[in-house]
Amino acid sequence: MADTITIPENLRAKASEKGWPEDLVRQALDAGAGAEQIIGYMDQGVTAEQARGFLAAQAGSGPEISDALKAAAATAQWPEDLIKQALAAGAAEADLLNFMNMGVTAEQAREFMAQGGAPQLDLSWMQVPTEWNTRARPTKHGLTLEAINIGKYGEIPDVWPYHTEMPRGAVPIPGVESMGYSIFEKQEVWSDNCAALYEEAIQRRWRPATDVPWASIEPLADDVERALCQICTHISEKEQMEADVLGRWEPDISYGYHEVKLYLATTIFENARAVEVFRKRALSNGGGLGMQSPGWGFRSVVDARNFTEMLSIQMVLQDSLTLAQYQYLEKYAKNPAEQYIAAHCLQDKARHVAYAISHIKYVMMHRADRREEVQRYLDKGEAMMLQDDKKDPATREAFAIYFGDGKANIGEGLQIYNQMRKRAVEQYLARLKWATIERADGLNPGLKAFIQ
Amino acid sequence: MPSFPSVEWFNALKEIVNKDPEFRALGTVDSVLGVKVGNKIIEITFDAFECTNVRDAGENDLRDMDFWLEQPYDNWKDMIENIKKHGKADLSHTLNTIDLSIPEGFARAHDGYRRDAFYRFNQSIQDFFNASSKIDTQFLTEAAVA
Repeated sequence: MADTITIPENLRAKASEKGWPEDLVRQALDAGAGAEQIIGYMDQGVTAEQARGFLAAQAGSGPEISDALKAAAATAQWPEDLIKQALAAGAAEADLLNFMNMGVTAEQAREFMAQGGAPQLDLSWMQVPTEWNTRARPTKHGLTLEAINIGKYGEIPDVWPYHTEMPRGAVPIPGVESMGYSIFEKQEVWSDNCAALYEEAIQRRWRPATDVPWASIEPLADDVERALCQICTHISEKEQMEADVLGRWEPDISYGYHEVKLYLATTIFENARAVEVFRKRALSNGGGLGMQSPGWGFRSVVDARNFTEMLSIQMVLQDSLTLAQYQYLEKYAKNPAEQYIAAHCLQDKARHVAYAISHIKYVMMHRADRREEVQRYLDKGEAMMLQDDKKDPATREAFAIYFGDGKANIGEGLQIYNQMRKRAVEQYLARLKWATIERADGLNPGLKAFIQ
Repeated sequence: MPSFPSVEWFNALKEIVNKDPEFRALGTVDSVLGVKVGNKIIEITFDAFECTNVRDAGENDLRDMDFWLEQPYDNWKDMIENIKKHGKADLSHTLNTIDLSIPEGFARAHDGYRRDAFYRFNQSIQDFFNASSKIDTQFLTEAAVA
């Protein structure tokens, strides 16, 4: 009778695609299964062999056991009824042969069957309507974040509507709890270079423990060693503060902007590396740590109430100074180890500044109404930075002694210190100018003094 | 023997670093920079892990570069001779030290963002110039580049 049953065209096509022979399809239809139901089984991955076993079990005759399976069963001492039971439950012959070869005993197989055998598969997730057939290709830089930003996956929305941890390009499901993000607008966090900077940070990483030529450090004059240890204390402190602050902002940024989240993760790592390497230097040449900073500048960053405010003060203003400090620390290094440390922290810090200033430019290009707001953040940040200058003679004097190569030359060292501050301010203004922010007129007089 | 400054001389450095696994290990470099010696300008392009192009350039090309390195002829000569002598730049001749020693800067640019590429890729660019220790250099006269 099954021979006379007509197979609908869509079922025939699906059967051909999935390797179900037509006699089996007719047998299934004859057993009462609907065409759509059979297509559903096929889409769920049910094989022809499994279906045949199932139909045989339904018919009460039990599935047929091939000669190969019979021989393997004899060797493994699996009785025939167990084999039939397994086939009827949907097990594939190849799987049973594998189990036997693996040494699974008949008793273990019976226990497994008694527990219900293989779990029922849902597999509806395989029908998820995401963009499929995506084939990102490696570039000269490898398979980068930018290389996989193709199709819908590369669409970075101006507003991200989801409060969950759903990755960009995935399909949302109802009922998932909010993850507590608070940043859903691109202009709040975005910079056009963040994906490239992430890859650059990953590629240009270095290892303080083994890359720094620690053995090149020789005893320094006591005042110079004390000065450097004070500098190490200062830098360790501020790099740790930056890591802490960025770490607090990370969970606020929604998943629509994962490039920013990833880049900030590398920044935090690089802050940690700076903390590590300067602490190691302080504790590696007979010295120790120095005095903590008063932290006025830190407060203006910690107290920032929005992300752009934090970036303006920390990663544009403060990091412009840190970047200049690394430039001068390299020039006045006393040995290859200190030169290596400063030169490599310099590269890391330049990326931090590059992200932040590019973000400010993005804000200016997309939210011109925020221009005055950014100026106010900088007013506040500069004022607090100058408070540090007033209240923190230790940092200034330590740099001066290190640059001057001793207390006796502190006058010359202070001149170099002022050159460093001048350079930091000039570069800060040049970066802001690139971001379309004219700051020279509004610059705090205390900072203006360095460039006059 | 290649002459400094010339495309031939910089191509010799390009060949060395592109075969050097240590240069690759420093990480990606994405920058277009210039070298200006007198009136002679040479453009050097880095892309991913290698130096991809060296060519003669003109004043108008400087605007399209991330930054260019400029110092007096004698200082260029001193820097390259120092690298040859020590196998790499000593502390008083690193790109960064020279940059801090010149009031208008060794690395110059038309905008404050692109100039920061000098810092981001500083050790790779230093490594590129350090490769000149592996070649013999003949210097063009100052008059030839004026």
